[in-house]
Amino acid sequence: MPDVADLKFKQDVLRMAGSEVQTCIQCGTCSASCPTAHLMNPSIRKLIKLCLEGKKDEALKNDTLWLCTSCLLCTVRCPRGIRPKAVVAALKDMAEREGIRSKDAAYEQIFTKQIRDYGRIAELPLTGEFLLVFPQAVVQSMEVGLEMAPRGKMALGIEKIRGREEVKRIVEELGEQ
Amino acid sequence: MKLAYYPGCVSRSTGREMDLSTRAVSAALGIELEEIEDWNCCGATHVSHELVATGLAARNMAQTDLPIMTSCSICYSNLRTAVQNMEEPETRAKVNAVLTKKYSGARIRHALDVILEVLEKNDDLLAVPLKDLKVAPYYGCLLTRPRGVYSPEFPTILEKLIKTLHAEPLDFRLKTFCCGGPIFMPQEKAAEDIAFMILSEAKAAGAEVIVTVCPLCHFMLDTKQKSLEQKRGEKIGIPVLYVTQLVGIALGLGPEELGLNMNSVSPMPMMEKVYERMNE
Repeated sequence: MPDVADLKFKQDVLRMAGSEVQTCIQCGTCSASCPTAHLMNPSIRKLIKLCLEGKKDEALKNDTLWLCTSCLLCTVRCPRGIRPKAVVAALKDMAEREGIRSKDAAYEQIFTKQIRDYGRIAELPLTGEFLLVFPQAVVQSMEVGLEMAPRGKMALGIEKIRGREEVKRIVEELGEQ
Repeated sequence: MKLAYYPGCVSRSTGREMDLSTRAVSAALGIELEEIEDWNCCGATHVSHELVATGLAARNMAQTDLPIMTSCSICYSNLRTAVQNMEEPETRAKVNAVLTKKYSGARIRHALDVILEVLEKNDDLLAVPLKDLKVAPYYGCLLTRPRGVYSPEFPTILEKLIKTLHAEPLDFRLKTFCCGGPIFMPQEKAAEDIAFMILSEAKAAGAEVIVTVCPLCHFMLDTKQKSLEQKRGEKIGIPVLYVTQLVGIALGLGPEELGLNMNSVSPMPMMEKVYERMNE
């Protein structure tokens, strides 16, 4: 007898990523198409199986979600018309809401927070805030900064749009649905 | 031709040369651009909640009645996907409930498509034919995906444009392979492995220049190129230009107008060859 919480998790995935997910035949076309498949454990194919089995913990706590580059080749090729990237996106959203902490989740959260508060992204403040939660990234950030700053490709300030209240509604109210 | 223009956030920082060259080329081709009023970020590849991403794109599209042009493939993919999502009445109702100006439909075009349309009719605008220039057409992922006007795996529009400029498009096997950019910050090694593979492939194909349609691809292949060379101990030395920069060169626009000094790998040696061949 499956647990109620497990069923709820499966239903949430189907609601967010599409009911066609349950038609998955486990053919592995998604994994075979993925540019980072060799680094993933579980594979994208297995991840979908975990969702359909209601195995929430295993589905949310892994690096697979954060190795997805959003290239959408899985979505283009799936013979069942499933959007595996949408499954990954749904799981990322759940992991962030559940407070499962990782440097990857932190980056997305800061990104969304900047949009919510300012309407646009400014890379320097984004990187700055990310470094506060993940200081190890300082070397790679410096390297990029030193390459771009002399070329006038680093915006120092944040541009705030006028429609911030509206954008906040989009992020918060639609984010609850 | 008059179009609404969506610059996207990178136009203010890491992709400034993309924005500069888009505006310069559009002006030279008689494409009038009207920047979308008070536009917001499209969410790039980092807003996982699908309805939120649709809402962010819809707000931008609701600001204008004109067809919308963008140079960034990520913005392009997000806007296009939102147009498809907004065809579902339930999604449209939910999104319109939070929008100030309501969405009622939009047409999205990538700069590449607009430029090709004008150039095909006006061959005389080519001041500097890029004779024999070997160009690796690099599409990346999002120009063509998930669904749109081009084949998601075997698109040919870049090759067509390259030929219009009298240059030679190379048979580039990895042309629609992801650059790894979206995971560069949290998963650096994985992203770098992919980018270096693409650069090596371009070198093996004999590319004199790689052309891109996405600021993240450009970042991975151009901004990171020197660092990747050092880490891997292999010289690449291939300039990576936005498609608008390459077109601008062929239109005879100046390096400053096209932001060519902002590229990490200087395209100047390549330009010299172009001029030499033109005078042959």
